[in-house]
Amino acid sequence: GRGGMKAGAKVVIEPHRHAGVFIARGKEDALVTKNLVPGESVYGEKRVSVETDEGKVEYRVWNPFRSKIAAAILGGVSNIHIAPGKKVLYLGAASGTTVSHVADIVGPTGMVYAVEFSHRSGRDLINMAKKRTNVIPIIEDARHPQRYRMLVGMVDAQFADVAQPDQARLFALNAHQFLKNGGGFMISIKANCIDSTAEPAVVFAKEVKKLQQEGFKPSEQLTLEPYERDHAVVVGIYRPAKKQ
Amino acid sequence: MLLLYESASGYALFDKTEAEEIAMQSEEGQQSILEFSRFSKLVKLVAFIPFASPEQALENINHISEGMLHEHLRNFLETKIPSLKSGKKSKIQVGVSDPRLGTVIQEALQVSCVCNDTITELMRGCRLHFSSFIKDLKAGDLDKAQLGLGHAYSRSKVKFNVNRVDNMII
Repeated sequence: GRGGMKAGAKVVIEPHRHAGVFIARGKEDALVTKNLVPGESVYGEKRVSVETDEGKVEYRVWNPFRSKIAAAILGGVSNIHIAPGKKVLYLGAASGTTVSHVADIVGPTGMVYAVEFSHRSGRDLINMAKKRTNVIPIIEDARHPQRYRMLVGMVDAQFADVAQPDQARLFALNAHQFLKNGGGFMISIKANCIDSTAEPAVVFAKEVKKLQQEGFKPSEQLTLEPYERDHAVVVGIYRPAKKQ
Repeated sequence: MLLLYESASGYALFDKTEAEEIAMQSEEGQQSILEFSRFSKLVKLVAFIPFASPEQALENINHISEGMLHEHLRNFLETKIPSLKSGKKSKIQVGVSDPRLGTVIQEALQVSCVCNDTITELMRGCRLHFSSFIKDLKAGDLDKAQLGLGHAYSRSKVKFNVNRVDNMII
């Protein structure tokens, strides 16, 4: 019925390689996260319930066409740096659809600092965060991290999906204040938001170079085909410890 | 040198001992920031003043985010900066996270403020170890303060009524 993946269909949940992420194996496989607020969808996404020894557990389907992180996971990214118990700074939170899945992954012992500048999206973000107490909504401009410095602690990971020409700079400004040494990062790059005249590959390379100059050590870059066009995510470590 | 650190729980003033002058960006400097045992020798807590109410916290973050000096912060600095307490002129400097706030404090209190890369590195240490410095804060207190203040600040920013849900027009 409503909310189920398919009424009466047999679904088996398997843990994904990335802790806190799961795969629902049914008629069709789907990426899912364990719903922090069972019984409710955030943006109309489907839910799957399974019986376990500890009772019913509910998962929410994570659509890779609507989330860069989900697309990166299905694209085979080696590390998302977001895991149970982690603190995450999320720049470009929009209405909080992907943030809600990140909140599911980090769980009750983790925390998501979700920054969004648009008031219209921000309103949805605030409403989502009312039910997920591990999400701190921050309606502010990510270009000026000093404006929200009172709200944010040191974080284990930083993610950005802001689609702005100066995104590498604002990503660095935030990391310099809030991202731990050795913390993980993931940044989504939409080529034509940076430079619509250049080849996407050239744009990605330039952005990577900017990040390297700011203390980021990228370890992986992957494009988000077939879910997004001319989009890439770059993943790596900020200020990695020097090898002994 | 003093350091002004603003948290969701309240304001704190730290004293950075001038004894060892190491470059904060260097390997050695970074290690002294990362380990609490070393950082707590480099930087000592002078004073902490918690916010008395959520309303006071909201008023203060609204000032801080705009680089303005709230009366509460002004009083805190006037009573806790040793040279201001004694009324004597001194060469003491206050490290701040926002140059705009630094300018305002400098004009209001006649105390020189600095904001540079070294301060940014030291503030990372304050942020990392804040709960260890403030003994009154129990585990989870700071998270709760951030959560409450984050909601209050964001609600005040969003001009729309957050309780109203728009109906989609199809």
